[in-house]
Amino acid sequence: MTIPPPSPTPALPLDDATAGAVVDAMIPLVGIPMAPEWRETVIANVKATAAAARLVLDFPLDDAVEPAPVFRA
Amino acid sequence: MRTSDLSAPMTAAGIAAAVAAGRLTATAAVETALAQIAALDPAVNAFTDVTAARARARAAAIDARLAAGETPGPLAGVPFAVKNLFDVEGLPTRAGAKINRERAPAERDGALVRRLEAAGAVLVGALNMGEYAYDFTGENAHDGPSRNPHDRERMSGGSSGGSGAALAAGMVPLTLGSDTNGSIRVPSAFCGTFGLKPTFGRLSRAGSYPFVASFDHLGPLARSVVDLGLAYDAMQGEDPDDPWQTPRPAEPVAGTLARGAASLRIAVAGGYFARGGEPDCFAAVRLAAEALGATRSVEIPEAARARAAAYVITASEAAGLHLDRLRVRPADYDPAVRDRLIAGTTIPAAWVHRAQRFRRWYRERVLALFDEVDVILAPCTPCRAPRIGQATIELDGVTVPARPNIGVFTQPISFIGLPVAAVPVRVGEGLPLAVQVIAAPWREDLALRVAASLEAAGVGAAQVAG
Repeated sequence: MTIPPPSPTPALPLDDATAGAVVDAMIPLVGIPMAPEWRETVIANVKATAAAARLVLDFPLDDAVEPAPVFRA
Repeated sequence: MRTSDLSAPMTAAGIAAAVAAGRLTATAAVETALAQIAALDPAVNAFTDVTAARARARAAAIDARLAAGETPGPLAGVPFAVKNLFDVEGLPTRAGAKINRERAPAERDGALVRRLEAAGAVLVGALNMGEYAYDFTGENAHDGPSRNPHDRERMSGGSSGGSGAALAAGMVPLTLGSDTNGSIRVPSAFCGTFGLKPTFGRLSRAGSYPFVASFDHLGPLARSVVDLGLAYDAMQGEDPDDPWQTPRPAEPVAGTLARGAASLRIAVAGGYFARGGEPDCFAAVRLAAEALGATRSVEIPEAARARAAAYVITASEAAGLHLDRLRVRPADYDPAVRDRLIAGTTIPAAWVHRAQRFRRWYRERVLALFDEVDVILAPCTPCRAPRIGQATIELDGVTVPARPNIGVFTQPISFIGLPVAAVPVRVGEGLPLAVQVIAAPWREDLALRVAASLEAAGVGAAQVAG
């Protein structure tokens, strides 16, 4: 069964404040000592990735579509 | 002839034929390359390492074998150089990074270096690249930019910038690069060289520094299609050291390149690939299509989403690869790379999973096109080489960041691992441009046949800086 995605994905693209909140929450989690002067560029990159992700997330896919990489044991 | 003419750089095939016939020694071919590097590289900055002693010893050994009556390999005496993410015995594998210079020297050459040398080629050095291959510019904060030999204030293209620049300057006839989202094809376009990004999983990646496991490819750049084919054939074959390589026997293209393109069904990619670039980029595709008699067009479905999915997967996998280093010494990265990698650590896993599922869907749709056509033509880049340091480019009247957008036409193709020959096509008097000749998986032979047809027609031609 294919569940239609919400369209457009409501939280994307991110605004500056939301992207900043994501960065401020995630960077301590992943443990990167980020200098304050890098924050603006990092936020810009998070927004760019979110804009790209929106294109992907807004495209309906059947649940039967498997991820591309195949691991051979 | 004992030495080659410095004013007219020889092709790899020309050097190998001359060495095999005894008209040129491997030593003379290597000395010519070393002299060219010494004369030209200070202004171009394509090389980060010149392995002169090793190259001279290797060339002398080849000459000794020839003198003893042994049969030389198909690349006998051909000087070549590799992007500095390939392992070279005795050198730390730099991958364009400050941090990597502290690595222990590689204990053996990368798999493709060994295969080229087994065919008689001679490594003369390692080439400049964007840090950790995360760029389309050829710029590097640590080593300085590799410069476009046609206009040294312009980008060489990335991330295999040195690989394109060394060829276009006439320093060596053959180089190796890597291509994750376009890093062989973009320098080919900006520098005016031929390039081959083989099918994903075709050539071994063993002994090379990774970027994005899902998309990384290695391949050759050269100034002729025959040279691409010679190098490609020498590098084929299964390698147990690469767990991502697809088990498949070698399928040599030697002897197939001159078969022509008349019997092939060739189409031009429309839609996404016919907009969003400077007019000359599409004029190059038209010139190629006219030369091939190709009148039909095809629509590669959802290419914009494919590019977006490649962008997400790249950002996430690259961040994952570098997380440990980002946690302890982020200030040692090239700032333009570091901030993208840090941003990549924040991407939800669900987005990446979705992008990999979209990749499966897209692959099936695009492969269906090859029921109707054999080869698809598309532009390589949306512009000619921007100025070094230029932060933005203008596409269809919209100003966009240069660094990620130079690859808009290459990313949707490497996303599903299709083989592509980049063919330099001259449009007007400006800097070089190139056309992507795209084939179905495992049909490098068809892409190279079409490239050879364009070369024979005089439409595709490498440009060496005067």
